[in-house]
Amino acid sequence: MALADCKRTMEMCCRCSCCKFIPLERIEGYRYADVCPSVARYNLHAYSGGGRIGMAVGMLEHRFEYSDSFLKVLYDCQMCGGCDVSCKYMMDMEVLDPINEMRITCVESGRSLPVLDRLRDNLRAKGVMVGTAAENRWAEGLDVPDVEEKKTKVVYHAGCRTRADQEQWNAARATLALLKKAGVDVGIARGELCCGGRAYEMGYKEDFLKAAERKTDQLKRSGAEVVVTGCADCFQALSVLYDRFGVKGGVEVLHTTEYFNRLIKEGKIRPSKRLEVKVVYHDPCHLGRLGEPYIHWDGREIPGHIRLFDPPKELRRGGRGVYDPPREILTSIPGVKLLEMGRRREYAWCCGAGGGVAESNPDFAAWTANERIEEAFSTGAEALVTACPGCERAFRSSARKHGSSMKVFDIAEVLGKAI
Amino acid sequence: MALEKGVYRAFEDIVGPDNISEEPAILDAYAWTGIVLKARKSLAPDTNEDECGRFALRCEAVVLPGRTEEVQATVRLCNNHGLKFKAFSTGWIGGNMVWEPGVIQIDLRRMNRILEINEKNMYAVIEPYVIGAQLQAELMKIGLNCNITGGGSQTSALPIAAHWGTGHTAHSTSNGERSLLALEWVTPQGDVVRTGSLGSTGEWFCGDGPGPSLRGVVRGSITPFSGMGVYTKAATKIYHWPGPATFPIEGASPSYRPSEIPPRFIIRYFSFPTMESRAEAMRQISESEIAFELMGFPIAMIASNMATSNQEERELFARLSKEVKGPGFIVIINGSSDREFAYRTKVLKAIIDSTGGTSLPAMEDPAIGGAQMWRFIRITASIRETFRATGDHSGVFPGHNEFVPVVRLARDIAKVKRELQKKDLILDDGAEAFPWTEEYGNLAHAEVLYRFSANPASLDGVKHLNEESVKLAVNERAGVPFFVTGDELHDIFGPAASNYHVWLRRIKKAFDPNGAADSGSYITARDE
Repeated sequence: MALADCKRTMEMCCRCSCCKFIPLERIEGYRYADVCPSVARYNLHAYSGGGRIGMAVGMLEHRFEYSDSFLKVLYDCQMCGGCDVSCKYMMDMEVLDPINEMRITCVESGRSLPVLDRLRDNLRAKGVMVGTAAENRWAEGLDVPDVEEKKTKVVYHAGCRTRADQEQWNAARATLALLKKAGVDVGIARGELCCGGRAYEMGYKEDFLKAAERKTDQLKRSGAEVVVTGCADCFQALSVLYDRFGVKGGVEVLHTTEYFNRLIKEGKIRPSKRLEVKVVYHDPCHLGRLGEPYIHWDGREIPGHIRLFDPPKELRRGGRGVYDPPREILTSIPGVKLLEMGRRREYAWCCGAGGGVAESNPDFAAWTANERIEEAFSTGAEALVTACPGCERAFRSSARKHGSSMKVFDIAEVLGKAI
Repeated sequence: MALEKGVYRAFEDIVGPDNISEEPAILDAYAWTGIVLKARKSLAPDTNEDECGRFALRCEAVVLPGRTEEVQATVRLCNNHGLKFKAFSTGWIGGNMVWEPGVIQIDLRRMNRILEINEKNMYAVIEPYVIGAQLQAELMKIGLNCNITGGGSQTSALPIAAHWGTGHTAHSTSNGERSLLALEWVTPQGDVVRTGSLGSTGEWFCGDGPGPSLRGVVRGSITPFSGMGVYTKAATKIYHWPGPATFPIEGASPSYRPSEIPPRFIIRYFSFPTMESRAEAMRQISESEIAFELMGFPIAMIASNMATSNQEERELFARLSKEVKGPGFIVIINGSSDREFAYRTKVLKAIIDSTGGTSLPAMEDPAIGGAQMWRFIRITASIRETFRATGDHSGVFPGHNEFVPVVRLARDIAKVKRELQKKDLILDDGAEAFPWTEEYGNLAHAEVLYRFSANPASLDGVKHLNEESVKLAVNERAGVPFFVTGDELHDIFGPAASNYHVWLRRIKKAFDPNGAADSGSYITARDE
């Protein structure tokens, strides 16, 4: 796909502004009605899904140069897909695809952000977005085999964010402890390669595809039947993007929440310790709406007065992401009271870290995360639980920056405390 | 033309550097409109046009004021430098387009506060960018409700403060212009005027006094779309809501629906053998004041709203068309007590029995009916009905008047539509008029929906439909509909309606001697 291939879908945009808000039928009050962090923070219509479509068509029609101001708008977006859900709840069109294609077009034209280029360069040189693939201090002392040396049924993929961020190691180590306790035959790749997903969202499509091929080879070599990851971004790349671009191998991809929930239902993990705490769960975008399985379609639009497809085309509208397993895990823990935020599941507010924003505009990322923390506070929760190291990092950094007392946990940490 | 640097800096000084832009890419986002302006090559390969047909003129710069004082300063600066301005709230629909060069777009998005909800006196004071869904959600928590324009609850709760604002619940919540109470208005020259009670007592409760009543001036014939300045705060009437504080919605996109229909609520779709019998049923329901909502949806629109995609819509339309007798309407009845609800449903039954109506079984299904009910209360239906087909705005608004003339006019326009359907210039979705009543039948409005592909032949067909509808509206004296914007249309309708256009021009000239407020969607002050 290229931006030009999105032209028809972009022409469907009627500029209604629904992309700025959560689905209208779910709005429960004044305060938490926004779905798009970008336009909520910067206000100019150009920052919204619909505004970006207008700009994308302008790009196609060569109406302007790719200035720095334009790049700022383009990259001050977490690519969270909230706009996509709120639009497609009523319309038959795509919103996130063209936004992604705008970034790819810019990169292909030699225009991108230097701060993101450095991540891309690291991926090219070292196979991971940050650090090196050989760095595995997070797993030091763990009795877990290297799948390059000993084949296991399950391979745990930590992801670049976890591996490079010491504060995330607890969640990864808790995950492996839980898997081992459940008797799972699990290993890790000591030279774990990046999935490439974040590169794709930053517009580096070719680099993503190369990373994906490398990663698929690595997984294939491991001989594992299942890859389990606690990173929502990696989950979405390995399951959705790899499927979309035809690079998914035969390995089953599961997020830790899916796997833990399965183990709980099979009686292999029994959360029995009581945790008296009121928690609220944050749906990571890449596990939720963007984690919905990819739907392949090969056909044509039928010319006419109503937009139809041959064969009929089913759109991904975000409702079939991974929403219930994390909630079932939390409610299986004695004493845990699970509360819900107004913006949840397919129309959850983003943590702020996605799309390269954590690196290119940390203030915006922190602002977005703080909005979520305030929303979590409004429910009466004592702790904010999530299922992605990107979200966890964003919330912890923001809480620190804003002096918030909200505790932030990865779901593996919470489950680990209950075992 | 680019703004001179000094002028740009002057605007920047007013709103701050983060709230202004003249970046072409950003301005293109603003130039993108909800209506198709010309044929698209992607739909008509034989056309030479290689554009998508959605870009209107670019403004010179966009500014986002956060306070009335910033709006005022912006407007004054425009006057001082021979620039024009165009303000909008959420900015939907073509009336918000910039029409001429040299315009500063005023995006009111930062003015988005609910300033007051006065339960006792039943009004809410809002800024322009509070959307209908936000205000309604807050009101429902305290047993109140507001009128929301039919365009949808993603639009301003009181679009440009004085928009006609008719919509799905207008039967019981009136319309925007009649719900408008006191108003804060920045005139085209930059004066701040506080109308109604606000002008003398600082209270918001009345639009007509004891301060200056300028409702007719600020509204004109229809909303001026910023052609008379900028409305920065307004009070809107609010209404009793006998339903739950939060509608119990569950499910995932695109299939949200209530887990149960709240007590003392019912929705039905009735169809009738003739337009006359439907009209009689609507008249009797209005007269008896039993309904919360009464909308004469053609079955094509019901199919649009029930369906989650165009594909499903086509299948549903084919099926439902066989299940209806003819023209129909949806009606929502509710009650504040069991006795009231029982009385209202009993009256409804008697009216339907006497007028030969037949209930659509699908709407009686609590899952389907419940979803439709909430959709028609939250007002999310129009996008599915009018835009999902091809993304193009697609409706003729033939009239706003009393019930009988607007229904008659819509019926006659529907005949023109049928001819276009036969030639396959627009979608064959039936050709039923879409009338509804306001204030329990005190007023009425009607539309004729059409869906089309933006190819040259269809665009010509749509142009013909619109021209014919104008002729019919004038000849039948059916009132001045709210699509009448711009000099050309006012000059057609004015002579047929007490020469109101002459007065509009005089008012425009008096309040906007510099012509600073972009009048492309209103009327210019040119001499007669």
